[in-house]
Amino acid sequence: MIANYLVLSAALFCVGAFGVLARRHLVVVLMSLEVMLNGVNVALLAFARLHGDSGGQVFVLMVMAVAAAEAAVGLAILVAVFRNRGSADARELRDLHG
Amino acid sequence: MDPVFAVAAGLAVGAGLMVVTRRDPVRGVPWMLLCFVALAAVYLRIGASFLAAVHVLVYTGAILVLFVFILMLLSGRPGEGGAEGPDRWPVASAALCLGLFVLLAVSLARIAPSSRLPDPPAGFGAVEPVGRSLFGRHLLPFELVSILILAALFGSVLLARKKP
Repeated sequence: MIANYLVLSAALFCVGAFGVLARRHLVVVLMSLEVMLNGVNVALLAFARLHGDSGGQVFVLMVMAVAAAEAAVGLAILVAVFRNRGSADARELRDLHG
Repeated sequence: MDPVFAVAAGLAVGAGLMVVTRRDPVRGVPWMLLCFVALAAVYLRIGASFLAAVHVLVYTGAILVLFVFILMLLSGRPGEGGAEGPDRWPVASAALCLGLFVLLAVSLARIAPSSRLPDPPAGFGAVEPVGRSLFGRHLLPFELVSILILAALFGSVLLARKKP
């Protein structure tokens, strides 16, 4: 049943969203983001299977490439932040907070 | 429900919960590994065997190793990379995400056909149809991804470089 796959996808997305909203350690926020992207991948694959179309699988490949690029840039920003502040806490980054 | 799918889906969601709730990110890494492997099993149940292999290669082979390297770099410093204050509004975030999940699950279960999935066309998850689609109809997005990866490559080197 397709609904099972879509509910799994929604569950993974919401678990990841909780991590992004609630956690303050930047590494954990990025890990939660990966979990969210995986949830989206499950939905794309389920719909690809439903329609018998390979296009959905191609888009999963695109999402994987974007996830890899996002992890690399995000972790590079984290290294720069940690070098300047000595902390990986999202709370510390409030220079633009009026 | 398919028992293999049920076990893999439960493992994936449970491991995902462990990832987002561990205080020490280093302890989240093995759970993330379990989550990704369980998801590869889900992909195999869908029939996308090529993507299951790529998923394991990219997520556990590249992304997870990158996280481990960064955690290793952070925790080697004074002040410890694992130090973290209390969560931001944990109850409100949990309620929001639970509400979003209920909304998504109810609406998805309603719009999606509740019948069994049709049998996939011959060679659904194999390399050849995916490759034909990737280098045929979706050639432009593929080329754009190469530019994205190039930009990410330059950007991450530039950002992480030590200022002279």
